[in-house]
Amino acid sequence: MSQTPLIRLEGVWKTYDTGEVQVDALRGLDLTIASGDYVAIMGPSGSGKSTLMHILGCLDTPTRGSYLLDGEEVASLSSGRLAELRNQVIGFVFQTFNLLPRASVLRNVELPLLYGGVNRDERRARAREILDMVGLADRARHLPGQLSGGQRQRAAIARALVTQPRMLLADEPTGNLDQTTGAEVMDVFDALNGIGQTVIVVTHDAGVAAHARRVVRIVDGQVSEDRARAA
Amino acid sequence: MKLLEVIADGVADVRAHGARTALQTLGVVLGVASVVGTMGLTAGGRQQSLNYMAETGGVLKVMVYPKPAETVSTTARERASRGLTLDDVEAIRARIPGYDLVEPAVRRRALLRSPRASKSYSVTAAAPGYAELHELRVAHGRFLCDDDINTSAAVAVLGADRAHEFFGTDNPVGQTLRVGDNAFRVVGVLEHREFYWNRSETWNALGWMNELVLVPVTAIQARQMGAPSRRVDELGLRLASPKDHKEAVPALSRLLLARHGVEDFQVFDRQDRLQQMNEQGRIYDITFLVCGIVSLVVGGIVVANIMMASFRERVREVGVRKALGAKGWHIFVQFLLESVVVTGFGGLAGLLLGVGFVYAIAHLLDQAAVLTPAMVVAALACAATVGVVFGFFPAVKAARLDPVVALRTE
Repeated sequence: MSQTPLIRLEGVWKTYDTGEVQVDALRGLDLTIASGDYVAIMGPSGSGKSTLMHILGCLDTPTRGSYLLDGEEVASLSSGRLAELRNQVIGFVFQTFNLLPRASVLRNVELPLLYGGVNRDERRARAREILDMVGLADRARHLPGQLSGGQRQRAAIARALVTQPRMLLADEPTGNLDQTTGAEVMDVFDALNGIGQTVIVVTHDAGVAAHARRVVRIVDGQVSEDRARAA
Repeated sequence: MKLLEVIADGVADVRAHGARTALQTLGVVLGVASVVGTMGLTAGGRQQSLNYMAETGGVLKVMVYPKPAETVSTTARERASRGLTLDDVEAIRARIPGYDLVEPAVRRRALLRSPRASKSYSVTAAAPGYAELHELRVAHGRFLCDDDINTSAAVAVLGADRAHEFFGTDNPVGQTLRVGDNAFRVVGVLEHREFYWNRSETWNALGWMNELVLVPVTAIQARQMGAPSRRVDELGLRLASPKDHKEAVPALSRLLLARHGVEDFQVFDRQDRLQQMNEQGRIYDITFLVCGIVSLVVGGIVVANIMMASFRERVREVGVRKALGAKGWHIFVQFLLESVVVTGFGGLAGLLLGVGFVYAIAHLLDQAAVLTPAMVVAALACAATVGVVFGFFPAVKAARLDPVVALRTE
């Protein structure tokens, strides 16, 4: 592809200094992800895949190396700009859903738009539209606790999508779901990727990874394997 | 993002934590209630004093009495003093500006007789201005007039109780009261007056008015009742205006001191008294305010404490919000607002409680309930300040959370 890749990591190091010991979670990692790709990031615990996810999601910045997100160097950005990137460019889906328990599904979905400065009427309209898309239109006024696990994760996906981010970043999205509902959630991701949404899934579940078009395996803070799956 | 939207979001968040909010509020409620309550009560007490003054001639009244003998040590010079005299009165009228009434009164004990009763009482010899000075109100007939003074007329005006005692009727005008050996015609009766400092009080502070037996000051002199002298038992003055107070009262004392050579008199100055009262009130206010502030601080500590305790459970929420794009200030505003809203509610509830308290006590004591806008503003301002001060630290702490750490918190 000739266009600028959505994500380009070059020689990324992440070192945690605990005071006594220094731990290198990432050791000169290189990774490029094009827009519209569907990538599974796999690796054993302690491999650095969580750290990679935090950096990809602009929750953290590299200690050394370069991270170009949509052409913008993330490593040197202020925390305010990082927050804007998280708001505009990235949509997070968590293993434990992380819906605010005391806010309605609708309010949860509206929240990123609130931080994005979208006015109330547009916020409400867009949130309803996206809830309709994930099949939760009739659950908008419910509290998260009143939903099933699969519904909760779909609400979380709706929240991640509401700002129309460049990429969806999911961390073990089926980890708290049974097989059937997990499969349903993965179907949502498949469908989204089918209409051009970049999806990055961090998982250790081979079944989940099987949905992706590309699997990146991380070992000891470096990419040990990067292969495209046969479609 | 617009601040108002963030605020609306914060308010929604507070609403979602009803029980915790109520608990947090309690300390502030009690603090504000005690501030408002005590301020209202001291103000009510002061108002009552003003009411009394208004009933008895206003705040411009200055009274001068001879100093009781036992408190004056008897040097030769002091023994030579004749006390307050009518000459003093004339000197004051002639030389001290600033008073629109200068009213001497002489008291003599005399045997009073009517067909119905016979008893020895104090008779007050005065002039027409006496009524205006003390705000005596005539119920029947008339008060003493200038003619009575000029002709040394043998007429009397009775307080309501005396009228009843000697004549058994509200209106004995025209009847004869014997004062010593002389027959006095009753020309007027005063209104019955009452003033109780509070409901449980049985002492009528205006009772002296009901017990007056007034005669023209010249009538006593002409009939040589009691020892013939120019002594005066009481001198009442009224300032022409409050601004005369500063000059006229010290001038009065100076003149009397110069004339007598010793301080054998006492000046009771209502303006001074009022000032003292206000100062005293201010001391009360400050004392109670400090107590209220202490309880507000305690309330604030409770707010901060609960916010810190609930902080742990909310760390993850902060992480999620940050992952969704919340900036530090969004979180800061949310947390700070929460504590301000909580204490604001507390302030409002405390205000209502305090107002209720003031009205309840005022009702029990039959006192005026006084609430000023300043109290309302002070109560709410105190509460909001507590919210800001004690919400600040948790808010800063929340705003500074590292999203990675926050998200990892279980």
